[in-house]
Amino acid sequence: MRSYDSKAHRHTRLRQDTQPFQRGIIRHVVLILDLSAAMAEKDMRPTRYLVTLKHATTYVREFFEQNPISQLAVMVMHDGLCHLISDLSGNPTHHITAIQSLRNPVNPRESPREPKGNPSLQNALEMARAQLYHTPSHGTREVIIILGALLSLDPGDIHKTIAACARDRLRVSIIGMSGRLKICQEICERTNSGSDASYNVALDEPHLRDLLMSTTTPPAIRSGATEGTAEDGAAGPVGASLLCMGFPSRTITDAPSLCACHGTLSRGGYTCSRCKAKLCSLPATCPACGLTLILSTHLARSYHHLFPLRNWIAVTWKRAREKGTVQCAGCLIKFPTIPMGAGVDDVGGSRRDKGKGREDEVMENGGESQEERERDQLSKELGASESSRYECEACEGHFCIDCDIFSHEQMHNCPGCLSKPAFSTVMEEDGNELANGTANGMNGLNGAS
Amino acid sequence: MNAIDGTTSSFHVRSTDAPPPSLLVIVLDTNPYAWSLLADTLPLQNVVANLLVFINAHLAINHANQVAVLASHTHCVQWLYPPPPPPLPTDSTGDVLMTEPDQPDPTPHPPTDDANKYRPFRLVEQQILSNLRSLLTSSPPSSHTTALIAGALTTAMTYISKATLLASPVAAPTHTHTTSSVLPTADAINAPADASTAHDPLSSRILIVSVSGDLAAQYIPVMNTIFAAQRNRVPIDVLKLAGDTVFLQQASDATGGVYIAPGLEVGAGKKEGEDAAVVRAQGILQYLMMGFLPDAAARKWLVLPGAEEVDFRAACFCHRKVVDIGWVCSVCLSIFCEPLPDATCLTCGTYLALPANHNVAPAVVPRKKKKKKRLPDGGTPRPGGSTPAGSTPGGGTPMR
Repeated sequence: MRSYDSKAHRHTRLRQDTQPFQRGIIRHVVLILDLSAAMAEKDMRPTRYLVTLKHATTYVREFFEQNPISQLAVMVMHDGLCHLISDLSGNPTHHITAIQSLRNPVNPRESPREPKGNPSLQNALEMARAQLYHTPSHGTREVIIILGALLSLDPGDIHKTIAACARDRLRVSIIGMSGRLKICQEICERTNSGSDASYNVALDEPHLRDLLMSTTTPPAIRSGATEGTAEDGAAGPVGASLLCMGFPSRTITDAPSLCACHGTLSRGGYTCSRCKAKLCSLPATCPACGLTLILSTHLARSYHHLFPLRNWIAVTWKRAREKGTVQCAGCLIKFPTIPMGAGVDDVGGSRRDKGKGREDEVMENGGESQEERERDQLSKELGASESSRYECEACEGHFCIDCDIFSHEQMHNCPGCLSKPAFSTVMEEDGNELANGTANGMNGLNGAS
Repeated sequence: MNAIDGTTSSFHVRSTDAPPPSLLVIVLDTNPYAWSLLADTLPLQNVVANLLVFINAHLAINHANQVAVLASHTHCVQWLYPPPPPPLPTDSTGDVLMTEPDQPDPTPHPPTDDANKYRPFRLVEQQILSNLRSLLTSSPPSSHTTALIAGALTTAMTYISKATLLASPVAAPTHTHTTSSVLPTADAINAPADASTAHDPLSSRILIVSVSGDLAAQYIPVMNTIFAAQRNRVPIDVLKLAGDTVFLQQASDATGGVYIAPGLEVGAGKKEGEDAAVVRAQGILQYLMMGFLPDAAARKWLVLPGAEEVDFRAACFCHRKVVDIGWVCSVCLSIFCEPLPDATCLTCGTYLALPANHNVAPAVVPRKKKKKKRLPDGGTPRPGGSTPAGSTPGGGTPMR
């Protein structure tokens, strides 16, 4: 997610975002850190332990940035045991303080926790399973383990634990720091319906960070029996449900009053829509009536996972001349001049087959198989553009690579599509987001049905 | 050698101590319908004239300050300054990229004399006025009555991201704008995320001058831009002259911008309030100068104006009602104002289970029945029933 390794990065990003998956937006995640003796290794500077703590802190922030209505718990594997250091909750500062207090305990009498002993994956999984046991069925249950050691010292049969985890719909991702372990691979395979894509070994610190950050994206929902109790075969995740939520407004009162969540005096706050209890921060569960209180912006933050922006394709010189674009439609930067006349053949000669106009291409591809067309499309999306232009197929605007990356990674909007009234009328009429070059988001959501 | 060292170090010190240049992107809502409603009290030309003064003030504060102006019209989003691309591809300059890091406005016009201090003012004014005039005269009568704020904001954000990229020291030597300048993006993006903005050379902000309401159709795109702005620490300031949109208020709240609605403040009575609103709205220059001129660096030390109470209620997807308690689909996060009749999400078509207790009326503890005296004979109609017939007295019909 965060590696910006020029073209390679564009590739990975494109591969990720092309298909709109149905994603588990409401997540319940247990983050398990290794605090065994192996974490004192110095192959990552200063030690693996400190590097992990640093990234775990940023991870918590990023996680709640991306998944505001999700919940997280943090555990550590220390000296054969697994300790819960912060409960399942949606408050990032709570987790960050807990992670930081590993090294700098709040209570001065406690000694900071240093890496010690061996980790136990079984204990960790059992503990995570217990922690996630009561979570509602519409949310995902995920376990993310950062494992530095090359062993797991277990009190019992870990295979039984793995089976129990799979039965309870846990999805385990493991990020190793030393080498691949068969048992980790098995855990990931068994809990992710046979795919071990969630088991990765970090090569170095940036890689570790990337692996960790890639888990902030909500996971795609799998349809299938492994997910558990979908007997009726209905589309959607197991136990999709309608949730009652409150959208409180922020109020300022003249006189300070106590908040229901912490009991501190404050003038501002949010009042629960149902019972009018005052809370100081959102998202939260009303302590008085138990209603889930969120801001509508929290929901909106997840929409781009559901309606991803359509990929832009590389523009050939011929197409560029057809459109005659000289500037990026987003940032007004100038494109390289289109070579005139004979120069075209020299430059674009090697790519003549790809360099045909869109109409030609459609004609030509008419008889080809769907698969070939898809492959052709993919190569168009993946390739670097010879003319430094990238085209949004919905609005036919041309953009530079920077705007391409910015629009797809951060904004999830197409500047061109949104600047045309036709698109906004589509939106007004249909009431959904077919505009904005989104890659048929709704169909994607319906995909399983 | 010493002299050289001295000059370089002093140069460095000066460059870091100087206030960072700031880029101001103004999104001017040019919705003709909304402006025609305001024509009596606050005509567009007044606002534009005041905006030009404001722009000049912004440019005068710091030599390196930049400005960009976007018109968010009903049928298109148009650059007013820097000028929009020429209609014909008559680009004969062989120079690929003529923007220098010091002068990132990619104007295709002859380079300006930096020695002449007032030339930038004149250039900006000329460009904005002529472009606005051509936009207004050329716009066809259209049926769209809402301004394309989402498009304008998106374009503004791409422009800001590119300007930040060009201004960052890493990107300065790159003269190709293709893949080689991707790496600096990473720095620009990652910097606010984990490290600090210490070396962020360009602070940008967006000012929306909005007159039209109703952004419901553009909700998701607007929200996306808000989050992008939040991530890149771009405050979105809003000057709301008329109309009412909840989302712009949320935009400025989420990004730490200033929200001023001079025409909409609560008056004592309706009539009196209207008059006061008109008067207040006519002091637009003062609002601009006092509320929106300070840049991000200066705002840290100021008490900012702004609405303290923010309406965070959401609009439901089914009836567009504004609700404060809603039902949310766990798959697509659509908001509905009431439990769905056939338990199927209207947006994604998923079957949604309702929580078991959602429409169960709270139970009332039943009154304790008085124990009736057991009849002396014919008590138990049920043969072989071992239980005493206390529960079904009399004629055998259970009393409920």
